[in-house]
Amino acid sequence: MLTTPIPDAAETRSNATFDAILWALSRPGLPRNLPEPGEAALIEALLDRECAAYAGDPLLIPVLAQSGARLVDLSEADHVFFGRLLDAEYLRACRVGSDLYPDDGATLVIRARIGQGATVRLTGPGVNGVVELQLDGLPAGFWQERARLIRYPMGFDLLFLDGDRLIGLPRSTKVEVL
Amino acid sequence: MTLASLTKPWAPMSYGFLDASAKRELRRKMVKAVCVPGCQMPYASREVPMARGWGTGGLQVSLTLINPQTCVKVIDQGADDSVNAASIRRFLSRVSGAPVTLDTLQADLIQSRHRIPEEILREDQVLVLQVPNPEPLRSVQPNMSIARQMHGDADYGRMWLQLYEQIVRSGRVMQGASYPSMVNGRHVMTPSPIPRWDVPKLHMAKHLTILSAGREKRIFAVPPYCRVEPLVFDDVPYRVEDHAGLTCSRSGAKGFFMNEVPQDDGTSAFELSDSEYGVKSIRRAEGDPVDLGDTWYTNGELTK
Repeated sequence: MLTTPIPDAAETRSNATFDAILWALSRPGLPRNLPEPGEAALIEALLDRECAAYAGDPLLIPVLAQSGARLVDLSEADHVFFGRLLDAEYLRACRVGSDLYPDDGATLVIRARIGQGATVRLTGPGVNGVVELQLDGLPAGFWQERARLIRYPMGFDLLFLDGDRLIGLPRSTKVEVL
Repeated sequence: MTLASLTKPWAPMSYGFLDASAKRELRRKMVKAVCVPGCQMPYASREVPMARGWGTGGLQVSLTLINPQTCVKVIDQGADDSVNAASIRRFLSRVSGAPVTLDTLQADLIQSRHRIPEEILREDQVLVLQVPNPEPLRSVQPNMSIARQMHGDADYGRMWLQLYEQIVRSGRVMQGASYPSMVNGRHVMTPSPIPRWDVPKLHMAKHLTILSAGREKRIFAVPPYCRVEPLVFDDVPYRVEDHAGLTCSRSGAKGFFMNEVPQDDGTSAFELSDSEYGVKSIRRAEGDPVDLGDTWYTNGELTK
């Protein structure tokens, strides 16, 4: 007789984290809550030995090593954890995939403060009409650089992390700086 | 780092049947699928205790998303009680402890074979569609490497030609199910073999749709509020099935997608394809206090 398996703490955490990631990217600009603050939850839900990751923040290196992901240069990473992004030029090295395989584009996780700073207006899939988003802590010229680098369907997908709050910005979203 | 920190306590079965690494791979691909709507992302498609082609793609997505609080509904051609739907529903609940429902309004996760329920799905609901053939170009380009190149180039001329030839030969578009649709103005996808009746429900929908082909190892998605436009010519408008005037012989509901039931005398009777909506309509007519949600179609006309 089959007994129903019980989810352990890691499974529950990963499931809730992925739920937040999936809905954050499905509804760009609307914050979702992670079960616990920080990148560790994202790493646990998404990364394993099959991944190549880049850590901008040295404190994340042990967490990534624990997941089994290879630590590589920015230009080879499929998951990039910048921590605070200091210079928009770093975006240029990130993988954008190809027209044939857009899934080779990287997922970028950047720490930012949600609800402060400059306002941008989002349109595109997942956005009901328009959404206005305030983000602080991004380097100068960030949005211009993103617009320049993304040639849909090539591009990278962004996750902004503020403590336990997460905002997703897929490559399909158009950003207008106000 | 110690060996103990890298291992986990023994368990007879992973939660939700799939092991953690299979789930992480699916999660990574689902993330990319949502970010590039309608674009087919390759994924590993693990073994599940069901034959390929019987909904294994949808099942793997459901197993990844499920937790003990997720209320699950499974339908097969609109019916909750077909063997395929009932088996998948029982399996999902057995390996996850998740509650199951037949009611579209109560479900958090709806896995479906070839139908979208008649009641409008909400912003917090996920629809998982099982896909037998994810490649809309297969009928015009059997080589999948070349087909991928055509998707990369947004080269859909042959797709239009196929529709044109159908109109010239038969006077109308003969494509009944899996009508090719342009997603977000860039990628043509097959919406899985849902009837033409259901394709407009995907356009700017509130819910998230994930389409997964287990045998073909492809996953793609339609996020909420995303354009899904069936390929049509300007002068030949898109037509859904002629079911607007039909009445369900069991529930009396009118203007929904129907199953045709042949009768002994050569005529046909019709009954609602969305079986639970039919059941709810009958119970409402008998005076039971049941919630009937708003529907995409009212009296056979698309409402939104």
